[in-house]
Amino acid sequence: MITTRLIRLGLIVGFAALVPAVFVLLAGQSLWRVLTTLVLYAFGPQGWSEVLVHAIPLTLIGLGVAFALRAGLFNIGGDGQFIAGTVVSVFFAPYFGGLGLVGLLAFLTCGFIGGAALGALVGYLRERFNASEIIVTIMFNYVAVQMVSYLIRGPMADPMPFWPRSYMIPPDCILPVLVPGTRLHAGLIVALAMVIVFAIIQHRTVFGFQSLVLGANPGAAIYAGFRVKALTVLVMAVSGGLGGLAGAVEVGGLYQRIVDNMGEGFGLAGIAVALIARLEPIAIPFAACLFGIFFAGGGALQRELALPFPLVWIVEATVIFAVAALHWALPDRKVAA
Amino acid sequence: MIPFLEARGLTKAYGQLRANDDVSFSILPGEIVGIVGENGAGKSTLVKMLGGAIEPDSGSIYISGERVTMRSPADATKAGISLVHQHFKLIDSLTVEENLVLGRPELRHGVLNFKALRSGFEGVGKDLGTSLQYDARVSTLSVGGRQQIELVRALFHEPRLLILDEPTAVLPPTERERLLCLIRRLKERGMAAILISHKLDDLYDCCDRAVVMRAGRVVGSSDLRSDDRGQLVRLIVGEELPPPEVRRGTRGAPLVSVRELVVRRDNGTVAVDRGSFDLHAGEIIGLCGVEGNGQTELMHALAGMRAIEAGEIVYALGKQTAVKCDAASLRQAGVAHIPEDRLHHAVVPSFTLTMNWFLRKLSERGLVSFGFLQRLSAAKATHEAIAINDVRASGPRARMSDLSGGNQQKFVIGRELGEGVSVILAGHPTRGLDIRTVAVIRNRLVAERARGVAILLLSADLSEVWDLADRVMVMARGKLRGPVPVGETSLAEIGHWMTTP
Repeated sequence: MITTRLIRLGLIVGFAALVPAVFVLLAGQSLWRVLTTLVLYAFGPQGWSEVLVHAIPLTLIGLGVAFALRAGLFNIGGDGQFIAGTVVSVFFAPYFGGLGLVGLLAFLTCGFIGGAALGALVGYLRERFNASEIIVTIMFNYVAVQMVSYLIRGPMADPMPFWPRSYMIPPDCILPVLVPGTRLHAGLIVALAMVIVFAIIQHRTVFGFQSLVLGANPGAAIYAGFRVKALTVLVMAVSGGLGGLAGAVEVGGLYQRIVDNMGEGFGLAGIAVALIARLEPIAIPFAACLFGIFFAGGGALQRELALPFPLVWIVEATVIFAVAALHWALPDRKVAA
Repeated sequence: MIPFLEARGLTKAYGQLRANDDVSFSILPGEIVGIVGENGAGKSTLVKMLGGAIEPDSGSIYISGERVTMRSPADATKAGISLVHQHFKLIDSLTVEENLVLGRPELRHGVLNFKALRSGFEGVGKDLGTSLQYDARVSTLSVGGRQQIELVRALFHEPRLLILDEPTAVLPPTERERLLCLIRRLKERGMAAILISHKLDDLYDCCDRAVVMRAGRVVGSSDLRSDDRGQLVRLIVGEELPPPEVRRGTRGAPLVSVRELVVRRDNGTVAVDRGSFDLHAGEIIGLCGVEGNGQTELMHALAGMRAIEAGEIVYALGKQTAVKCDAASLRQAGVAHIPEDRLHHAVVPSFTLTMNWFLRKLSERGLVSFGFLQRLSAAKATHEAIAINDVRASGPRARMSDLSGGNQQKFVIGRELGEGVSVILAGHPTRGLDIRTVAVIRNRLVAERARGVAILLLSADLSEVWDLADRVMVMARGKLRGPVPVGETSLAEIGHWMTTP
């Protein structure tokens, strides 16, 4: 029994290693150099902070995906909710100038509300019209991309429009840099705080319990008398809100404005992060760091070895496959709640 | 005479647990043998070994005197053994014919001669006296119809031994009668059959002898003379059953009044068609009907799990006379509900017992405060409840899916019943459970009635209704008949009502 499991695990890990390796070889690079470049960069003097910088939004989006998935809802709309968060937070940011910490918190809250509104809409469409949340969230991603693209060229454009980008947020809304000389910003604290908050919500509160029941056995949720429709909308709102918060954090911590294509690919990576963490809040920052290495390191591979960045996406896809296959090798999870 | 099948010393262990320990028995051609035992006695393991699904750790199987090794169900089929599972292995969205074809080895060759197969199926079907619509989707069939597909599938190989695992557990009385008739007919042709059942009546009606299993061993057998029934029960349970609770209730005021109730199914068809009745304190009303005639929807509407379309349900509970009809408020007001579908409604199988305890207790003081779960208090309450209700589990941290069906049901009942309950809605509370658990649950219901609780008992087991209920009510195609006092009607009349709306 145990040996079969080990063999299967070996096969899965082998698969996950083999696929990216093939593409590295196709791109004409040596595996060894790629690996050493990646590791040296990620744990090197500049790289470590970049890994964390990328892990911040991935943690938040991953938390949101995991929270919805535990409730049986597949939120693929991380990208759209991220954008909604940037738009709403930047839209209201001018009103928060001069408010200090209160302004910063209000700014972040606006990001959460932006994503939550979009998530809640998806939940509502699902409950009202029986629309698949998978399809709807994917569609909204495209809507969001086009909307923001219009906004930063039109109503919310930079007053001096050299590039398609929005106006700047006031200094009060900017997340301070934690380690001088790096880009690592206070969004790290926001992300870790959310991890703790959601670990508690998931396992200690009635709301978290209800969402777990909804995912594990919808019939039991009806038997228990939960208001399933309202619960679905709420779970989608919270899940989307985390995506939106990621957007606001990215604006406040890195760009100070909305720029074209920011956060591209984070939505999908967030799903991978949630899956690798096996939907467990506490494990999510670690999974996010792994993808932080791929994202930050992907840039380094592009610069130093001229490897195309989409290699990161290949790694991402492989990881999703491998994680999806894990149940084949692992014993059943003993306790789900 | 050489036995068709002989098992010698079959042993199968799962970890520490010896599911089958040195099991030996034999069956002659044309013999019908019942295998009985409580849940966990090892019947399923034995059946799986005979059906080729698992291999014994030691021991051997002889077919017509020859030793055989069966590594897969296909090997068993070749040896002339067919199996009808308790849980049907059918795909709802496919037609009857497509489901039958799925089980055929010809499928491997990639091309199917539907015509030839169809005539084969029809031959077997006609032989059985079935009226299967081969182009109908399985989802449109009754439980009995689904079982007939399984029977056609099993008999298509012309087996010499048919194994039926709990075949009557889900059947209404008329269809049960038909099935037993069929088994007797097959016997006349020299086919042997093994009947696994919890219901002693099945054995007495149909079997030549019974083999009793307990804790993985064969502990005895019975030639099923009607005067040794008590002896057989003692053999199965290993001790005396608790004596049946006989206290009557005193009928009080109506606690639930249903008037002109209309409830629809998810697909929009009318499930309950203008039903009216009163359920009084201190009485048990038995609700009978062929599966799928609206009883489930009625129970769910009463429990607040399904919206009502027209009419009303008035609960007179405590000071209030009407309660907001959602499952949580009803539960709080004292309406306990034992759902008929345990795994889809009553419990979350992947959760621990403690987390399952919360499921219907979220408004209970001490278990939840300010929206936070008090897991320690819940664990303590769970611990006490599993001790009081004799739930066999390793503890509050055990996973619900690791419990046997009977223990799950005892857990559910322990969670639902207690102080403050004045109405019990019980959906098939003893279905598929072993004799001892059935006796415990029945006694519990009767004791609750004596306390003045009003009980609506949905049951497919008419003898259970006759034993427990004061009045009986029948549902056919959404229409209610009754309730009438049990003493003023007969099994024949109820059976007639069940089939003619």
